[in-house]
Amino acid sequence: MGAVGAIFQKELRVEFRNKQTIVTYLLLAFLILTSFRFAFSSFDKTPTAIAAPVLWIPIFFAGMFSMTPIYKREVDESTKEGLLLAPIPHSAVYVGKLLASLLVVFGLELFTLMLFFVFFPFDLPDMAALMTVLVLGTLGFVALGSIISAISSQLSQAGVMLMVLTIPVLLFTVVLSAVSATSEIFGGAGLADVGNEVRFLAVFALVFIATGYLLMDFILEA
Amino acid sequence: MSTVVLEARRLVKSFGRNQVLRGVDLSISSGDRYFLFGPNGAGKTTLVKLLTGLMKPDSGEVRLFGEPLEGEALAIRARIGFLSHEPYLYGELTAMENLDFFGQLYDVPNRAERSKALLKEVGLFARSHDRVATFSRGMKQRLGLARAILHEPDLVVLDEPYTGLDIRATATLERLIREKSAKGTAFLAITHDLAQGLEMATRAGILSGGRLVLENDSSGWDEFSERYLDVMGGGP
Repeated sequence: MGAVGAIFQKELRVEFRNKQTIVTYLLLAFLILTSFRFAFSSFDKTPTAIAAPVLWIPIFFAGMFSMTPIYKREVDESTKEGLLLAPIPHSAVYVGKLLASLLVVFGLELFTLMLFFVFFPFDLPDMAALMTVLVLGTLGFVALGSIISAISSQLSQAGVMLMVLTIPVLLFTVVLSAVSATSEIFGGAGLADVGNEVRFLAVFALVFIATGYLLMDFILEA
Repeated sequence: MSTVVLEARRLVKSFGRNQVLRGVDLSISSGDRYFLFGPNGAGKTTLVKLLTGLMKPDSGEVRLFGEPLEGEALAIRARIGFLSHEPYLYGELTAMENLDFFGQLYDVPNRAERSKALLKEVGLFARSHDRVATFSRGMKQRLGLARAILHEPDLVVLDEPYTGLDIRATATLERLIREKSAKGTAFLAITHDLAQGLEMATRAGILSGGRLVLENDSSGWDEFSERYLDVMGGGP
C-alpha cells in the first residue's frame, strides 16, 4: 500500500499544481452546460431525453482530459524509467494512478452535477440510482482510459490516440449503458429499473480494472 | 574482502537488424569504481539498461548480488541506484517532495532526516522547498544524484553523470563517489571524458562495436589511454 499511496499522492500534487487539466475542464463544463441551457431556454422543463447526454458529455470530456497526461507526463519528463527502476510492482503504478484519476474525475463530476441541477431545474431524480450509474460508468471509463493512456503515452500524439482508441469501445459500452440508464432515472426510474445497465457497467469496470492490473508489466516495459 | 556485485555474461542485444551488443562480459566488485568509455553508438547506454533491468538481453545473463536479474527482481532493484543524464525528477514537486516520493518507493527509513542530510550534501538545502522546474540543469543533476543514493544502494550506475555539472557540482559528485566506494559501494559510470574518468576510476573498460575491447586497472592507464585514442580514431 506504501507505493500505491506514494504514487496516488504524487499524482494529485502534480495535477493540482499544474492546474491545466482542471481549469480547462471546469471552463469547458461550464461552457457546455450554459450552451445547452441557452439552447433549451424556450422549454419550461428540460426534456428528460436530452438531459442524460447533456450531463454525460462534460463528464466524458473530464475523463479524456484528465487521463491523457497521467502516463504521457512520465514520458515527457523522463521519469518513467525512475518508476520502472524502483523496487515496486508495476501494478502499484497502475493502481496509484488509477485512484488519483478517479478522484480527480469524481471531483469534476460533482462540480458538473451541481452545475447541471442549477442550470436545469429538474425534479430531483432517485439520487442513489443516479450516483450508482455515475460511479460505475466513471469507473469503467477511467479504467479503460487509463490502460489506453499507458499504451499511447510513448506516441507523440498521445491525446489523439487516446480518443481514437477509446471512443469506439466506450461508445457501444459505457456511453450506451450509462446514458440510457441516466435517461431512465431522469424519467422517474429507480435502481431496480436500471438493473441490467448497472450490472453491465459493474462488469465492464471490473474487467478493465483487472485487465490493467494484469497487463501493466507488459505495457510499461514495452 | 570485495565481493562480486555485478556479473554479465555474453550479453547480446539487437534492435531490428542492428546488433548493438555482441557478447559482452563484465564483472564489478564491491568498492570498484568502474568507468566505461567508448564512441557514440558503441552500445554503452544499452549495456547500462540491460545491467539495471530496464531492458532485456536477447541472450546472455545478468547477475546482481549473486542473483539472476529476472522478472520484477524487487529485492535486487532496491540495491541499485541509477543516475542518467535525465535526473528522473518531477518538475511540479519541490526538491524535498521528490526525495520524499522516491524515499517512499524505496522504503527508506527516516526519510525526512535522510533527505535533509542529502540536500545539504549536494548543496541544495536552501532550495529544499522550491519546485524542481525552477532549478538549473546542474541543480537538477545534483538533486538526481541525491535521489540515486537516497536508499544507500550497493551498486550505483551513472550514465554520463558529468553532463551539465559545474566545477563545484563535479567536485561534490566525485567526493561522494570516493566516500561511498571506500565504504564498499560499487560504481559503474559511463562518460566521454577520459581524463576525468581515469582520475576517478579504479578499473575501466572500452566498449566499441558492441564488444568490450579492453579492460584495465589503474596500473595500466597509459596503455588504456593510447588504445582509447585508437578506438576513437585519434591514434597514430
